[in-house]
Amino acid sequence: VSATPMIVWLDEDGDTSARVLGGKFSSLAEMTRAGFAVPGGFGITTAAYEAFVEHNGLAAELREETAALETGDLHAVEALSARLTARILDAPLPPELETAIAGAYTTLAARMGNAELPVAVRSSGVSEDLAGASFAGQYDTYLWVMGTEAVAEHVKRCWSGLFGPQVLTYRPQNDMDTASAGMCVGVQAMVPARAAGVMFTLDPVSGDRSKVVIEACWGLGEGVVSGDVTPDRFRVDKVTLELLASELAVKESMHAFDPASGTVTLRDVPADERELACLQDTTVVELATLAKRIERHRGAPQDIEWAVDDDARVHVLQVRPETVWSQRPARTVTGGGSSRAVDRVLAKFMSPTGGDKA
Amino acid sequence: MSTDTGKRAFTNPFEVETPAGAEGWESMYPYYGLLSEERRASEEKKFWFFDGMHNPTPIYPFDTIMTENWWVGVNQLTTRVWCIPPAGGIDQRFVNGYLYISPGEHPEPDKIGERAEIFSRRAGHYFENWDEIYEQWVVKATDCIKRLEAIEFAPLPAIEPEASVTGHRGLYSTYDLLTSYGKLIENLFEMGSYHFEMLNLGYGAYLTFREFSQEAFPGISDQTVARMVAGIDILLFRPDDEVRKLAQLAVDNGLGEVVKETADPDTLLAAIGERPGGEEWLAAFEAAKDPWFWYSTGAGYTHTDRAWRDDLRLPFNAMRGYIEKIERGESIDRPLETIVQERTRITAEYRDLLASDDDRAAFDELVALARTVYPYVENHNFYVEHWHHSMFWNKVRELGDVFVAHGFLADREDIFLLHRNEIYSALYDLNIGWATMAEPRGPSYWPAQVAQRKGWLEKLAGWTPPPALGLPPEAVTEPLSVMLWGITQETVDEWLGAGADSEGGVLRGVAASPGVVRGPARVVTSAEELHAVEQGDVLICRVTAPSWAPVFSKVAAAVSDLGGIMAHTAIVSREYGLPAVVGTGYGTVRIKNGQMVEVDGDNGVVRILDEEGGG
Repeated sequence: VSATPMIVWLDEDGDTSARVLGGKFSSLAEMTRAGFAVPGGFGITTAAYEAFVEHNGLAAELREETAALETGDLHAVEALSARLTARILDAPLPPELETAIAGAYTTLAARMGNAELPVAVRSSGVSEDLAGASFAGQYDTYLWVMGTEAVAEHVKRCWSGLFGPQVLTYRPQNDMDTASAGMCVGVQAMVPARAAGVMFTLDPVSGDRSKVVIEACWGLGEGVVSGDVTPDRFRVDKVTLELLASELAVKESMHAFDPASGTVTLRDVPADERELACLQDTTVVELATLAKRIERHRGAPQDIEWAVDDDARVHVLQVRPETVWSQRPARTVTGGGSSRAVDRVLAKFMSPTGGDKA
Repeated sequence: MSTDTGKRAFTNPFEVETPAGAEGWESMYPYYGLLSEERRASEEKKFWFFDGMHNPTPIYPFDTIMTENWWVGVNQLTTRVWCIPPAGGIDQRFVNGYLYISPGEHPEPDKIGERAEIFSRRAGHYFENWDEIYEQWVVKATDCIKRLEAIEFAPLPAIEPEASVTGHRGLYSTYDLLTSYGKLIENLFEMGSYHFEMLNLGYGAYLTFREFSQEAFPGISDQTVARMVAGIDILLFRPDDEVRKLAQLAVDNGLGEVVKETADPDTLLAAIGERPGGEEWLAAFEAAKDPWFWYSTGAGYTHTDRAWRDDLRLPFNAMRGYIEKIERGESIDRPLETIVQERTRITAEYRDLLASDDDRAAFDELVALARTVYPYVENHNFYVEHWHHSMFWNKVRELGDVFVAHGFLADREDIFLLHRNEIYSALYDLNIGWATMAEPRGPSYWPAQVAQRKGWLEKLAGWTPPPALGLPPEAVTEPLSVMLWGITQETVDEWLGAGADSEGGVLRGVAASPGVVRGPARVVTSAEELHAVEQGDVLICRVTAPSWAPVFSKVAAAVSDLGGIMAHTAIVSREYGLPAVVGTGYGTVRIKNGQMVEVDGDNGVVRILDEEGGG
């Protein structure tokens, strides 16, 4: 355990297991190695988090306080969350970790040719993204973070998310000790997304595995994930890659970086773009092709976050196992009826509109 | 929904008004095909829908032979041959010259069990022996066509030839004329019967597979279902393949330029004959023509659907396109190997997506059965509608020449203004006049009739047939109406609510081929109007025909009023990668030439972008 490094690059040949990089970044490292277009970056490992807790002598306090929590008492939950968050934000990084993070950021910035490289700082919990528990939306992601100091600050914010009220209450029900499992924090180059969104390698409404369903919005994909913008929806046949249906939404607003405030804000979509499809048909098909490859590579239905940049290049931001339909028995068509073709044809003549019952 | 539709009704068929100037149109049609007071009680209670899929325009009196053929031909199979348990036949009436049809139920519901047993045995026999029966079918169909080809019509001679006397036959030209006509009509009914011999079962098997696929993979496109079963040796692609070969040979023999530069086919053929390498090309051209240019520019159901042989501009237009491709260094070969590989891949991938072993077993059987019946489903069209019917209409024209020679008609085409039974009378009139050397009545009777009927048909063509008449059915159970015409409860409900939707410049139909395209509308209601189509036009038609191929290489998208789920036309239009919306109901009525329209083939929507030029 002591050999685990504090920083692991996504494209590095090392231990990139979920134990080290958390679920999200472990998957992204695997995707990077398999040649998918994942934005470059590195993970600040669970070992780094342990070193931080150790350095500040917080281990016992965090463990005991969370263990003693009455999860039914919301006031107590919120008070504890605020107290522990403050403890983490106030605690200093171990100097060698601070140096390592700054060094990795500088390397990434140099690689991308931009000293003030905007990055996404993303929580990657050890227990999230496991098949069966999505933890969706419970940990934080910070977008368009620039400079070593800001990155270090946001790493601590991500860690403090381990003690967010929703995590404190979610965890005991699942019988997982989230905090001691730890967290990795990933740092990746921002994709200046022209459009972005989420896609499933099955129909999330019906469970039909012969479809790829894509939801997309202008700008960053946060709106699709959070649901605060109505996305365009595209359905693609997974076998033939035909675009079967495009349901276009009137997209009033979008998430984008605002240079004035230096943050990502929700702003109006230019009037002439609101009713336009935010993806070209060819890009939709490219995304579906990508989804199909990812599903095949990972061997199970996937939920994929992606972004398309100004040059129409597609980037994979996150992959995780689909958790709803994958755990249900798939719907059958025959349902015990005869499989003899002629019987089924005769039944069709008996009841042309009524399925296969005579 | 059913209580709602129960209250609503379509126009009572007896309240349909005759357009001004067309009064008397009924006399063009047989008495049994008309609405009548005597049968009113049953007729006005039925659900009648307009068969624009096969007969988009008022039917010429002679052309009723095709509808009358299936009136018996299809229905006897449903009710008396296969004994499809719950179904009655599909009835027909001519209303203002348009064909309306009504799906029936079997009048004896208590016989369902007995009929199911007969049906299962008889249909089972055909499915189990399909390949062999289809082989026999091809022999029968080809023989029928050869006998049609041998039928000849000639004007009666001034004096009976010597051979009629020395041969002691005792039969003379009047007998031959009458019996040749009899053979011609019998030949049509013979092919008409073969047409439906395997059709119901073939479509049934294919559509059962289609339905299974749709249930397992909701939203799967018809094209994909077809790709899983279609072979590569589809006869309907053969005429186009022949044109590709001729294009290649023209380039190889240095004839590319002359083909590209000469618009008139006769001038072109003469010019080719004069060039080196031209003789070889002409021989190949003649070989390809028979039978592959017996390829109708329409559905083949009406005499106005002419074959490539009759209008060589169409294949030559296509040939020019292929020559240009060859000159640009592009391949014009259909990627046959890829089609086969794709069929295998797609089928295997869908199979893997099924949920259980039972599903996979059913899928395997249905794919196998659908592949077994598909050659017939795909190819019968070439034998029946294209090869046979195109030749049949031309034989009728030859008889028209006989009437012209004897002064009964002014133009060979006028013969189509006579019902086939009237032609028997006219022939007898002719024979009497010839035999007695007295004045036949025909020359003073028929030209006036023809003129009046032409006037009626013109007036009737200006009338827009509503999609349905009478009382909406409680449920559509007649299998062929559902399978061939696509009539379902949803269709009926849509028609009941129609009009409202099309007001806003938006027409809805079935998404037949994906993509979104804008362009100026070109409304085409007859094959003749195809020549007016320009590059980038959006084709608006009642129904598309596969042999419109040359036009499909020009248009940006296709929209049709009607569209059955098994339209071969859809397969061809998808081959050309055009967005298409079918079954809009009112496209040719609502959309005017030159209007900008947007065709959304992904969602089955057509938007009229500018109302100008409309009326």
